[in-house]
Amino acid sequence: MKSGCDHAVEYIYHYLDGEISWTREQRIRWHLRRCRDCVGAYDFEAGLKSAIARAARTDVPPELFTRLQTLLEQEIGNGS
Amino acid sequence: MADQATFEEQAMPFAGQLYSAALRMTRNPSDAEDVVQETYLKAFRAFGSFQDGTNLKAWLYRILTNTYINKYRKKQRRPSEVELGELQDLYLYRRMGEASGASVSAEEDALANFVDTDIVHALESLPDNFRMPVLMADVEGFSYKEIAEMLDVPIGTVMSRLHRGRKALQKKLWSVAEARGMTGPAS
Repeated sequence: MKSGCDHAVEYIYHYLDGEISWTREQRIRWHLRRCRDCVGAYDFEAGLKSAIARAARTDVPPELFTRLQTLLEQEIGNGS
Repeated sequence: MADQATFEEQAMPFAGQLYSAALRMTRNPSDAEDVVQETYLKAFRAFGSFQDGTNLKAWLYRILTNTYINKYRKKQRRPSEVELGELQDLYLYRRMGEASGASVSAEEDALANFVDTDIVHALESLPDNFRMPVLMADVEGFSYKEIAEMLDVPIGTVMSRLHRGRKALQKKLWSVAEARGMTGPAS
């Protein structure tokens, strides 16, 4: 049997990605109530995951938006 | 069957997400615009085959991914591999913890060392095979199953590429931290 920490570390991304079985999730939740080091690791990885999501977002250039609309209207006009 | 007349109204709200994704894939604004335009055109023409009530974002994202792969990855026959060696689990967290000598409660401050462009550069440094699953999981929140379908690989492959891609990204961020001298004990 793996230690609580090993189990928590092994399944950290499954947990954060919401791709984990109920049993494993409960075991991790229970472990996190008692282990500060793993809480630190989980907070860090969750923070990094949301930082990646935030950093990767860019606004659409307004010209592209206009061009897409024109493109679609032309297609509709062509009666495709 | 989806009605083409409603395409614009349904699909345009995803333009921002698709453009961001295309920019992270191509790493170049003008290529990203081309990919997005081609995606919308293909999607419009194929909209009759979209099943109403299913996930439109995933459907559009799949067309975007295929467009990018067909357009920009043709020449690249051999999948590129990242040289990782054996990277420890929680690589960045451990490195930053050791360097600052800080307690484990400092993880939020540790992340504050990185600005958005650091993260974008780290993402862009990953080869396609690893960057795509990371983008799909972390930025778009797609499930492993959806990612597997979009990339046409088994779920196990998605998981291992995600794992390795994340480690490679953390290694890159750590090199940024080191270069900035963020590694001494916090003063």
